[in-house]
Amino acid sequence: MVQSTTPAPGGTGLDSGEPLLRTVDLTRHFRLGGFRSRNMLHAVDSFSMTIGEREIVAVVGESGSGKTTVARLLTMIYPPTRGTIYYRGRAVNHLHSRRDILWYRGEVPLVFQDPYSAMNPVFRVSHGVMRSLKLHRPELDRAGRQREAQRVFDTVGLSPDMLAKFPYEMSGGQRQRVGFAQALAVQPRLILADEPVSMLDVSIRAGVLNMMARLREEEGVSLLYITHDLASARYVADRIIVMYAGHQVETGPADAVLSQPRHPYTQLLLSAAPDPREEPVDIPADSGEPPRVINPSEGCRFAPRCPLAIGVCASVTPELSKMGPAHEAACHVAAEDVERGRPVHRAFSSSPVAGASQSSALPTSETSGPQGRAPVG
Amino acid sequence: MTDPLLEVKDLTVDYQAEYADVRALDHVSLSVAPGEFLGVVGESGCGKSTMLFAIAQLLSPPAVLIGGSVRFTGKDMVRLTEAELRHMRWRDYAVVMQSAMNALNPMKTVAAQFADAIRAHAKMTGKEIRNRSAEVLRLVGIDPAHLDSYPHQLSGGMRQRTMIAMALLFTPQLVLMDEPTSALDVVAQRALMRQIKELQVQLGFAVIFVTHDMSVVSHYSDRVMVMYAGQTAEVGGTRRMFTSPLHPYTRGLMDAFPSIRGNRRELTGIPGSPPDLGHLPSGCRFMPRCPDAMPECAARSPEMFAVDEAQVRCLLYDGQAHQGRIGETA
Repeated sequence: MVQSTTPAPGGTGLDSGEPLLRTVDLTRHFRLGGFRSRNMLHAVDSFSMTIGEREIVAVVGESGSGKTTVARLLTMIYPPTRGTIYYRGRAVNHLHSRRDILWYRGEVPLVFQDPYSAMNPVFRVSHGVMRSLKLHRPELDRAGRQREAQRVFDTVGLSPDMLAKFPYEMSGGQRQRVGFAQALAVQPRLILADEPVSMLDVSIRAGVLNMMARLREEEGVSLLYITHDLASARYVADRIIVMYAGHQVETGPADAVLSQPRHPYTQLLLSAAPDPREEPVDIPADSGEPPRVINPSEGCRFAPRCPLAIGVCASVTPELSKMGPAHEAACHVAAEDVERGRPVHRAFSSSPVAGASQSSALPTSETSGPQGRAPVG
Repeated sequence: MTDPLLEVKDLTVDYQAEYADVRALDHVSLSVAPGEFLGVVGESGCGKSTMLFAIAQLLSPPAVLIGGSVRFTGKDMVRLTEAELRHMRWRDYAVVMQSAMNALNPMKTVAAQFADAIRAHAKMTGKEIRNRSAEVLRLVGIDPAHLDSYPHQLSGGMRQRTMIAMALLFTPQLVLMDEPTSALDVVAQRALMRQIKELQVQLGFAVIFVTHDMSVVSHYSDRVMVMYAGQTAEVGGTRRMFTSPLHPYTRGLMDAFPSIRGNRRELTGIPGSPPDLGHLPSGCRFMPRCPDAMPECAARSPEMFAVDEAQVRCLLYDGQAHQGRIGETA
């Protein structure tokens, strides 16, 4: 275990009460077509989230939901159209000097989706790790870098002699571990992992997910886990943020979101996820796909696909509102349910009987606000 | 039991490399009944796609068919000439490829691509072609207005449906599918699987569905075949396979992915990685990764043992197979 000794330039420590990372109203639009085009693709709109110390947060959504754009905004690959990212209380958008940006990227590295194309095939895998070390930790000498490279390889479950291998000599799972080792070498506080297991074989995904959980335990890092797979999000994450068409539609503790999904889109995702351990259930088909949000008007972006949609959905964009302890959803119908103490509407129900652990959390029960758990109706 | 529609025996395929040949498929046998849905599951490199291509007689160098037979509608496809095969393709069997983005010609409208396939096999007027094309598009739930669309104007899910519609132009008896849903999101994937299953029941064709993700076929296939390192590891009824998997590898696969609704528990995955097909271990190919390995496993490569309706390539089931299942370590 190595203590983070990198001093924060500007001397900003972690203010009390300030989360590790916080975004406020983070928004990114892309212009489509030529530079005179007025067509703006709204990739991410008003995304506000926090990640605490030693916390694993999952951002879940289909392709086109904006989840990768969030990761790229957080790594400063491109600047936001609007909104601010605060890292340990400092507004990251206002970092301009090379030294500050290097510092931030060292604290918050990114692990890529595709371990096959994220590494340069003509270099040994040690190359990337060593370069990060040279760049981000100039205080280390050659022997120190070597020691550190061996340490991070060991931490991600690779034997140190793997450092001398070329990428083609490694399996996908091993390459993805190299990606994490490289991120870890710079002594990060928060690792952004963009679909780190979706390209891997099912049989080795669990190993990488377990490693992510261990990094939090042993290295004390936080993780932002971006995925389309609710089951793996539930497996590693403390909190889940569900995105649809650039909006956050539901956020809360992983168990609450999955056992009591309040947004119809979360319910749809949940009902679509195959679980071979269960008997098949027949659920209404929904072949829709997330829209490309170009010059959107007001209103809920899920409304065209939503069986619960009411008049207001088409005209007013729903805000996140409280559904339970730390559990929020952006849905007019769900908000009204909570306000009036009605049972939860189910747009898409998943299988009727869940695992034993959730027998107390079946559809009609709900956790509503300060009163706590409402009686099972 | 009716005669099988497709009967594959001892299919063996090598990839010929400069220094040594690599056996990608090693004496694989299977049979598919008319109207049956067979799921084929395995990790990348296990030979599942190679098998599909070998059945469809679509192998191209460096892959070479070394031996075995593929009996389909009374003919051994291995012995047919290219002209005879061309006559059967689309008409008697069709293949749906993994990536619809690459399988459709970006320069041609959907209608033009359908017309190409139809004209190669039937004499139809332009109007008949148009009608048939519209009909199959409707079958897969796409508005026939999209006949005049180019592939890039369709979403990923629609492109994949278009490929399936094309495979159904002549209502073949067998449709081979190579991971048609792996590029899709969960919601689109579920919708497509339902559609395939509905069409299959409605039109009565048989499906061989290759995927790396067991959960995809879990609710749709009649039987599942698990492949490992170029061989069949286990084959049997789908429900039985998921409730009581026999092969330690199948059990490992079942424990490899988190459940979305059950208890949250630590997953183990399967330690290690599949063997290099150029340097196979002696004995059982799964032994180095197997939690139940016995000394015997290193010495002897297991053959297929029958356990009830299922078959499994594992020495745990040797001898006592007829007495039912043994060696089940929960």
